Amino acid sequence: MAFGASPCDDSHVPTVLIVDDHRAFRASARKLLELDGFEVVGEAEDGASGAALAKELEPELVLLDVALPDTSGFDVADELRSTRSTVVLVSSRDPADFGPKVAASGAAGFIPKEQLTTAAIRELLGEAA
Amino acid sequence: MSRSIRTGVAVAGLVVGVLAYEVQVNNLPEPLTTPARSIASVVAAWTFLVAGLIAWRRRPENRLGVLMVLTCFALLAHQFRYAHNPLVFTLFFLLGELGYALFSHVALAYPSGRVTDPLERGFLGLAYAVAVVFPLAILLVYDADHHLRFFDPTRRDDLIVVWSNADATRILQNVYAVTAYGILAAIFIALIVRKVLYATPRARRVLVPLLIAAVAAALWAILNGILTFTTNPPSITYDLFWWQTAALIALPLSILAGLLRARLARAHVGDLVLQLEQTPPNGIRDELARALDDPTLEVGLWLPERRAYVDGEGRSVTVPEEGPDRAVTRIENDGRPLAVLIHDPMLIEEPKLLEAVAAAARLALVNARLAAEVNAQLEKVKESRSRLVAAADDERRRIERDIHDGAQQRLVALALELKSAQRRLGDGGDPELEQLLASTADQLQVAVEELRELARGIHPAVLTESGLTAALEALASRLPLPVTVDAAVDRLPPDIEATAYFVASEALQNVVKHSGATKAGVSASQADGVLVVQVVDDGVGGARTNGGSGLRGLTDRVEAQGGRVSIESVPGSGTRVVGEIPCGS
Repeated sequence: MAFGASPCDDSHVPTVLIVDDHRAFRASARKLLELDGFEVVGEAEDGASGAALAKELEPELVLLDVALPDTSGFDVADELRSTRSTVVLVSSRDPADFGPKVAASGAAGFIPKEQLTTAAIRELLGEAA
Repeated sequence: MSRSIRTGVAVAGLVVGVLAYEVQVNNLPEPLTTPARSIASVVAAWTFLVAGLIAWRRRPENRLGVLMVLTCFALLAHQFRYAHNPLVFTLFFLLGELGYALFSHVALAYPSGRVTDPLERGFLGLAYAVAVVFPLAILLVYDADHHLRFFDPTRRDDLIVVWSNADATRILQNVYAVTAYGILAAIFIALIVRKVLYATPRARRVLVPLLIAAVAAALWAILNGILTFTTNPPSITYDLFWWQTAALIALPLSILAGLLRARLARAHVGDLVLQLEQTPPNGIRDELARALDDPTLEVGLWLPERRAYVDGEGRSVTVPEEGPDRAVTRIENDGRPLAVLIHDPMLIEEPKLLEAVAAAARLALVNARLAAEVNAQLEKVKESRSRLVAAADDERRRIERDIHDGAQQRLVALALELKSAQRRLGDGGDPELEQLLASTADQLQVAVEELRELARGIHPAVLTESGLTAALEALASRLPLPVTVDAAVDRLPPDIEATAYFVASEALQNVVKHSGATKAGVSASQADGVLVVQVVDDGVGGARTNGGSGLRGLTDRVEAQGGRVSIESVPGSGTRVVGEIPCGS
């Protein structure tokens, strides 16, 4: 299932999985997303558990950190290509720091962490759709 | 003492030689002998005497000299067999064949004077036994009326005859001819050929003349043995005599030539001293190899602090166990190890040459050791510089990670919290509070970006993540002027990529700050094990190599990795900075 146009429908509650090894970021992001009507269905602190949870919970959106303790977010994004989830990569580094890897990863896009908002997600996914 | 002994031996040899000649010409009629052939026999024996005395004097510890002197007397004893006096005839018929066994002994013992090979020792034991037992047996059954081989028909009385029998005498003479001139001579040829085949290259060169002389003598013996059973015409017998004499003389002469060669080599040590003065440390081995005539020579210089031998380039030299293939000569200086020569074992037989070469080489080796120490230290310094660069890179990567995982994450979380607060406040709240939150969010955004910039400057994550090409593209995209990127290099070791990146980064920073350029270009290429990174601009030029500490520091870094940085910067014609870094592939 593509994230598609449904998040733009106010009655729809998009489900989100946050994969990031920083607890503070996960908590802040959850708070922000839930305020804007997203449902955070799970959190994972590394790539392996993130990929497993994504397959189990089948969230519409996976917010995936690039730098994970056990693997790269690009590899996890690649692994999740076959699932119904839409992957959005996040990082506190500049997207230029990752060269062509973002485009090649299979993720719908990239948002710098400090610029994360539901509007940014919707804008990115609107473009992606 | 030994000199007077040698003088006495020399006089005795001369006297016995003259007597041997007298005995032969007076007791053996022509054509069995002639004055010329008698003289030749004595001269052949004297050649052994001269060569033996010279070898004895030069190397008293080597038995070869004494062996050759004994061979001389044994060969002369052979002539006394022809005497008609019963005692002289009996005694020298008994001892007269020992000359050939001694001849074999000299050939097999050359050059060390010792025979250590079990096969060769066995052969010599047999040869000596045959040389004594057969004449003894013949004397015990000797029939005075029977014509002995190579003797005239006149009667000679034997003092130890027990059972006089003509048939037994003939049979024993024939069996002796087959054994000594056939079987033993053939075995001797095989042993000599084997000795040459198994010799080291240097030994082989020395042994070849000896091989020719020994094989010639043995072939004469075989042919002589065959002729024992034929009705041999005299002319062939006499031709064979000259062959035998030439072969007999050739053996001591080839040994003398070997001695002369060693003497000449020692004489050239003076030239070696002069030559070594002009030889660089890494050329000493070649000079010594030439002086010792040993192309297999290895020279190890002792480095006290490493407690190891190294060659002229500072590489370790392993000292082998001494054996049939390699020998080791240690050279000391003031009682302390200086160097080791690993050489052909044949050189042990020329200790004076080795000593002379070692003495001549001592000063050069001291200098070479100093050079090797400096090279070894230089190698260490290079290694430590490389390690410093690698350690600095590791530290930079660690700091970048710490910033990313620590302060950056805190600020990011704070920014998101602030957004949540703004979201909760919503529209229609306190305008001043809204403005304060918005201003705080802006400040926070700036702080995050500045921190990101700082982290990137310390070590760009893109370099670690995606390599040099992507890092240069990212670098170019952030600059305030158009920068073309021409780079397509594979992933390289992190320290190589980092060095190339920082050269480009520093050069591009200089372009932005100082050049006034309207455009620039950066390229990276890899060929023949060298990574070349180049930055060009169309600015004012005139940059100096030692201008900024940034580029100076980077030049140090590049040189620490065995590379170099060059700058072309003509005023008015832009600047080109080229960094060349060995990358090993």
